[in-house]
Amino acid sequence: MKRGPYPAGPEGESRGDLQDEAFEDEEVRDEKEGSPEYPFGPPPAEEEGTGARLARAVGRGPLHAVIIGISILWMIPALGLLVSSFRERQAITRTGWWRAFTTPTEFTIQNYQDVLTGQGMGTAFINSVIITVPATILTVMVAALAAYAFAWMPLPGRNWWFLLVVALMVVPIQLTLIPVLRLFADLGLTGTYWGIWLAHAAYGLPLGVFLLRNFFVALPKDLLESAFLEGASHTTAFFRIVLPLSVPSLAALGIFQFLWVWNDLLIALVYLGGTRDVAPMTVVISNLVSSFGTEWHLLTAAAFVSVILPLAIFFALQRYFVQGLLAGAVKG
Amino acid sequence: MRNRMQIVAWVYVLPAFILLGAFLVYPVLRTIYWSFFGRHSESFVGLDNYQYLLTQQDVLIVFRNNLLWLVVFTGVTVGLGLILAVLTNLVRYEAIAKAVIFVPMAISFTAAAVIWRFMYIWNPASFKQTGVLNAVITSFGAEPVAWITNTSVNNYALIVAGIWMWTGFSLVVISAGLKGISSEILEAARVDGANEFQIFRHILLPMLKPVLVVVTVTLVINSLKVFDLVYVMTFGNFDTDVIANRMFKEMFQFGQFGRASAIAVILLVAIVPFMLFNIRRFLAAR
Amino acid sequence: MARVFYENVYKRWKETVAVKDFTLEIADKEFLVLVGPSGSGKSTALRLLAGLDSISDGKIYIGDRVINDVAPKDRDIAMVFQTYALYPHMSVHDNVGFGLRLRKMPKDQIHEKVVQAAQVLGIEPLLDRKPGQLSGGQRQRVALARAIVREPEVFLLDEPLSNLDAKLRVQTRAEISKLHQRLGTTFIYVTHDQVEAMTMATQIAVMNFGVIQQVGTPQFLYDHPTNIFVAGFIGSPSMNFFEVTVTGDADQVRLVDDNGLSLPVPAEKRRALESYRDKKIVFGIRPEDIHDPNFVPPETEVAPFDAEVEVTELMGNEVFLHLAHGETKFLARVDPRTVAKQGIKMELMVSMDNMHVFDFESEQRIFTPEEEGKVELDRSVEEEPAEEQVARRQSEVPQDQADQD
Repeated sequence: MKRGPYPAGPEGESRGDLQDEAFEDEEVRDEKEGSPEYPFGPPPAEEEGTGARLARAVGRGPLHAVIIGISILWMIPALGLLVSSFRERQAITRTGWWRAFTTPTEFTIQNYQDVLTGQGMGTAFINSVIITVPATILTVMVAALAAYAFAWMPLPGRNWWFLLVVALMVVPIQLTLIPVLRLFADLGLTGTYWGIWLAHAAYGLPLGVFLLRNFFVALPKDLLESAFLEGASHTTAFFRIVLPLSVPSLAALGIFQFLWVWNDLLIALVYLGGTRDVAPMTVVISNLVSSFGTEWHLLTAAAFVSVILPLAIFFALQRYFVQGLLAGAVKG
Repeated sequence: MRNRMQIVAWVYVLPAFILLGAFLVYPVLRTIYWSFFGRHSESFVGLDNYQYLLTQQDVLIVFRNNLLWLVVFTGVTVGLGLILAVLTNLVRYEAIAKAVIFVPMAISFTAAAVIWRFMYIWNPASFKQTGVLNAVITSFGAEPVAWITNTSVNNYALIVAGIWMWTGFSLVVISAGLKGISSEILEAARVDGANEFQIFRHILLPMLKPVLVVVTVTLVINSLKVFDLVYVMTFGNFDTDVIANRMFKEMFQFGQFGRASAIAVILLVAIVPFMLFNIRRFLAAR
Repeated sequence: MARVFYENVYKRWKETVAVKDFTLEIADKEFLVLVGPSGSGKSTALRLLAGLDSISDGKIYIGDRVINDVAPKDRDIAMVFQTYALYPHMSVHDNVGFGLRLRKMPKDQIHEKVVQAAQVLGIEPLLDRKPGQLSGGQRQRVALARAIVREPEVFLLDEPLSNLDAKLRVQTRAEISKLHQRLGTTFIYVTHDQVEAMTMATQIAVMNFGVIQQVGTPQFLYDHPTNIFVAGFIGSPSMNFFEVTVTGDADQVRLVDDNGLSLPVPAEKRRALESYRDKKIVFGIRPEDIHDPNFVPPETEVAPFDAEVEVTELMGNEVFLHLAHGETKFLARVDPRTVAKQGIKMELMVSMDNMHVFDFESEQRIFTPEEEGKVELDRSVEEEPAEEQVARRQSEVPQDQADQD
């Protein structure tokens, strides 16, 4: 039984069964009191598996309490947002959102209507899409080409170039804002979509190239060599062999980049300016906060609109997102 | 033949190099250059910008804030992630718990800022509290706290929002590292006579060191670069300003391009040691 | 007293039973090898003794105490894992001394003991290195040192040689046997390799599907396997099996089949087959008991057998003949001077005094009355002190087994 996208170690699968075993054993063992050494229960000899033994030492009760408690705590902030976005303005200012469940008549979708049309979230949503999708595609394409060259093509000094590209990952974007802004001004790109697409693509390249190149390098050499023997050019190999085989990592990068661009505020603010008709949702929300700081019925609805898509993607494609994250953080 | 392939190779990397050059390499050099110039980058002012920044009281507060972020945000996120990684490893519903804690990473800092501003709402004492935190503390009899504007707590309030967002990352990465430790080693330790806490201290923790380092470095870098959260929650007011925000202000509010560049350079200098560390680690792995 | 006693031990997982009604007594100073194919439950049985898995039913004793609920660290055992399980971040010295450190032994005392153990295993120069810098064989010794430094009552070894290359394996086998002699402690050793079992054990317990098939000395298991599984498992290359029918009358019992096989049963075995007249049984004969007719060893009762040679393998000191008899394929180990060639039909001589017969349905051995007596005999052999057994068997080890891994 696969347990979600989070990597399971070699014992990951069996451990699940062992845990069930441990649960069963628990009832039987309730009568036995703990020794001074193991205040929460019988000594570890009676449990299976690495995990259960540690669980014993920590104490089953406290263990579940802590984990479940923290999980619930984690959900509260977002829950508050969700509930409030469906409440009327008056209700929000008068009572805390947790009271909303006692008076179901308060619920309304008026906020969403206001926010989508009146406050421009609808347009902003579309803008977000317009900004994010091409930026993501562009990033992945450019990164893939470069990564392939670094992996399989005879580029002189390619490992050094690769290193340089990856090193750029750590450069704070702030360092580049002013010159790029001036460059845009000269080229007339400020406030245009092309400007921001190119910018996001550029900023996403270091991580993208890193991720993809590592994946490409791990592909079976024989596969490509036999293709070359049969007369394939690099271009053919790239499009016909490498890309199809790399879908998982391309997806990981794509999703990672998509979310990153979708959620970005700084770059949109700086390169697009605050003009309403091209602003993505992040910018619109931050404007709402600064101008309508206490109009929570609007803010919560707006915020929720902006997170629907990322959440959906996250839940549907968790596996790839986590992969991308791990690759960037753990590898190398 | 080889030469032709080389040319094709250059073609493949050309788009990437152009973009990187235009948006990353060149700008960095320019910014450093302009940091020595005046507000419109016309007149050379030497180190004036730096002097201004390093002596101004409110700028010093900015640095203090980043330091606070660096220590508290990183420390708590790594620690919490570690504890949760070890704990979730032991329960059946591990995947769900991890997903719940990880979800905030999918949303924007902007949305998170809204969420937490909402959590931190302050109503005057005689009114009903609508913010979660104040509701909780008033039920214990305390006075409601203005989390956002009160300068002794607001930085921490912002940091908590950051922790909420990033613990998932810490948890997932450390958890992956944890699962990579073979259970035979733990069994050998048990046979050797170690109890669970000794195993944690002598075996797990040292073996997790590389993973912990990766997570810590990533979080440190992020704590230095933090912008969105602060921008939306407080706009940097009430002494919560951070480097990235200050730079933004210098650029767009004060119109001081020279100073803005200088502050960006300071940020770079702060990050460089970590950049070098990452590169060295990467080289060692190769 | 370090005897170990498993009493009707069961281990159940959710839907399977890994170890079933496991009863085994292991004497002090014994070198017991638990052998069987993958999944036979042998590792599980070992882990139950170590306390790494819990016992579902039954009891395990070390000495006189029941250790079912005792923590691994209090059982006075040491274990060597298949993957050595060395702590990668600690030096060899700290790895070996870890257990002692946990017991709060003073540092200089720890050091002394570590050096001692290191000397026994010849790893003294490696004490400052980390496991990552060692070869497979060296790591193995560190794992062994870590075990002996605790001076336990029982040593548990879980397939310690399976990660070594063939040559190292042969070497290390001998060293582990020497270690056992030197320490005089009970060794319980798990492996899937019957060669290791045969060469090192004073007692072998063969397992399959979680059940003990047979317990006995290596020689006994070789000569008198109690069922087809043990017969086929012990001895390499393994025993050949034929489906035959018992025919004949009071004077002449023969084993026949449809392909022209007709082998006379020696006098001492005839009585055992009386109840099987005209019934099908399984006839087993080891490759080493099938000979080229020109090179039949003396003092063995042979009978002719026709077969076709499919492949010949020259081993240097002998020749393997891959033979076909009808549909059945079998193997013979013959004198290297044989002129047998691929494709020819030839007559072979089978040593009928070493024949084995098994019931067709139950797969159990069909015992002769004398054999029942021999089983009694073997019990007394079990009481022979382990050291002498080891010494006796050192001289009996067949040389060619080393190549047949």
